[in-house]
Amino acid sequence: MNKWFGDLHVLQDINLSIKQGEVVVVIGPSGSGKSTLCRAINRLETINDGHISLDGQPLPEEGKQLAQLRAEVGMVFQSFNLFAHKTILENVTLGPIRVRKQKKEDAERRAKELLDRVGVGQQANKYPAQLSGGQQQRVAIARALAMDPKVMLFDEPTSALDPEMIKEVLDVMVDLAERGMTMVVVTHEMGFARTAANRVVFMAEGQIVEENTPEEFFTNPQSDRAKDFLGKILKH
Amino acid sequence: MDDVFSNFDLVLKAFALTIELLVVSALTSLVLGTLLAAFRVGPISVLAKAGTLYVNLVRNTPLLMIFIFVFIAMPELELNIENFFVKGCLALTVYTSAFVCEAIRSGINSVSLGQAEASRAVGFTFVQSMRHVILPQALRAVVPPLASVLIALAKNTSVAAAFGLLEATARMRYFTNNNADARPEIFITFAIGYIIIVEVLSAGAIGLERRWKVAR
Amino acid sequence: MRFKRTKALLVAAGLTLAVAACGEAGTGGSESVDVEVTENAAENFEDGTRMKELAESGEITIGVKYDQPGIGFKSAASDTPEGIDPEMGKILAASLGIAPEDITWKETISDNREPFLQSGEVDLVIASYSITDERRQIVGQAGPYYVTGQQLLVKKGSDIKSVDDIKGQEVCSVTGSTSLDNVEAKGANPRGFDTYSECRDQVLNGTVEAMTTDGAILLGYAAEDPEELEVVGEPFSEERYGVGYSKDYPEMCQWISDTLQESYDNGKWAEAFEATLGKSGVETPEPPALDPCKA
Repeated sequence: MNKWFGDLHVLQDINLSIKQGEVVVVIGPSGSGKSTLCRAINRLETINDGHISLDGQPLPEEGKQLAQLRAEVGMVFQSFNLFAHKTILENVTLGPIRVRKQKKEDAERRAKELLDRVGVGQQANKYPAQLSGGQQQRVAIARALAMDPKVMLFDEPTSALDPEMIKEVLDVMVDLAERGMTMVVVTHEMGFARTAANRVVFMAEGQIVEENTPEEFFTNPQSDRAKDFLGKILKH
Repeated sequence: MDDVFSNFDLVLKAFALTIELLVVSALTSLVLGTLLAAFRVGPISVLAKAGTLYVNLVRNTPLLMIFIFVFIAMPELELNIENFFVKGCLALTVYTSAFVCEAIRSGINSVSLGQAEASRAVGFTFVQSMRHVILPQALRAVVPPLASVLIALAKNTSVAAAFGLLEATARMRYFTNNNADARPEIFITFAIGYIIIVEVLSAGAIGLERRWKVAR
Repeated sequence: MRFKRTKALLVAAGLTLAVAACGEAGTGGSESVDVEVTENAAENFEDGTRMKELAESGEITIGVKYDQPGIGFKSAASDTPEGIDPEMGKILAASLGIAPEDITWKETISDNREPFLQSGEVDLVIASYSITDERRQIVGQAGPYYVTGQQLLVKKGSDIKSVDDIKGQEVCSVTGSTSLDNVEAKGANPRGFDTYSECRDQVLNGTVEAMTTDGAILLGYAAEDPEELEVVGEPFSEERYGVGYSKDYPEMCQWISDTLQESYDNGKWAEAFEATLGKSGVETPEPPALDPCKA
């Protein structure tokens, strides 16, 4: 697929397929198009040509069918984007009740399970603004999981967090990977890439430059760009 | 002045009509204005353009013109509505809904883009996203501008005085015509009536704002 | 702020429109009575009277209606108003030695007749100005020079034949007028509009059943549109048109009464009637008896 922002060719001939249960980590310098790629997968960004399929079905362009398919794709944002006017519990149950048409009691029971699993079960009746960033991001993961998605997209989930909160979010994500969730993660957390990823995709200037297992990528990068990038971030 | 007090039932009846015009026009304007705002921010470009055209056309037209169109021009075009009250509400709604639309649209724009993206990512359609996520948050930001739109509407009902509706301003003119010696007093009496209506609206708006602030 | 400005614009637009609307119903063709302008008129009045001041200045400002065919009406094309009211004004001015072309005409509407007199904006109001006790509390009214009564203007063939048929019917007039009060008291739904011509339009397009005001005004509209409109029923009120003057100058009453009486006697009043209201085909009535002035 291809995408332009005006004259800027932000995604150039991207061709990526992800197997079920695979955890793909997308890394690269800022402005490389990795975030755009992640958002394009569930069409929060439009693409100019190409196609996206999920489970063999092409993602429709607009309207109800797109909404239904988006429900199959969980998304976690850099800035959490919890619904500010709803309690934590309501944030998690809103989708299942309105989109999946679940009964309120069923949705709440499942939401409490998920909130306990990500460690914020005690906060269920608070509003998002009363929680720390790390707690909010874990709620956002629970909200996405409540829809029983086939794949989860993480768009720099820890970039807006204070360092001491990063770990609590990464722990949840590692746990998720171990349970066999299909995941696409855009991140700067190399530790997470090493431990949880099946494959690392390295992007620069709108192109996929290198794809490899984390082991190979981090110890023996093939391209100059990847060597340069790893040299810069691993020195510290 | 004695004439006003001995016929105070007529004053109350006139203000009752003012309030009826206000309430009915306010409800229809809120519905139509919200719909227009949804058109303008929505994904269907034909509707967005139609909404923009409507708002620009109506907001730049004096209310009196709209009244003249409904009461004088429409009957000429064989589009007459028999009921005067319905015609009055129609003119007020056509005008006020454009301002309601803009107040609500500014409220929608005050809700961060991330909220819309998150709701779409959960699988909401545009309508669901509006109803469950965007509008409830927009309404908080919308209370103050919407209150001033409704206060303007309360006062704008007086234009109906010149179009066959015997509301407060029309009734005031009967009294001032018959009692030329007490015009300032009669004027003040009726002005107080309007002030009470506007104060009630303001108090309601302040109450809503407080309640919603606490809820957050 | 935006709304305040809009309101101000509305008011301005309303005034423009109201004035513009008045120009619509032209009677066309100005016939006017020749008045004999008294020479050296100032000598006829005692020192210190308002009449002497006016006669010496050679100027007078008279408030008349601009929107009532036959009574006081100014078409967009014409410079001066026409109707029985301006004719009376010319007769009164002539007795002060002021020629018709030296009169300043000013449009008055029902609401501003008293304020205009009180502030001295006009010297006289001759504007279908019914004599009432309430009005005499704050301004002077001499006359009457014409007596008419409230009637109904309907579309030809209407079910309304007289005032007894208006119960529950939509009847229009000018917002705030006594006429509308009277029909409301008789059980009609009163519908006030800004101008008589707007009200007449509502009768023509069938939105309201009848228009009501003084028969003299209705006759003017019926004369304009005899195919579609007619005046029905007997007058159900008595309106006595008087000449308004400021209470600051009570001496004006006797002068107005004397001048009116003179016009009755020398036939000028009858001429004025025939040139204006008489054109709708009504017979010229006997001039009404004048109220005595209080000493």
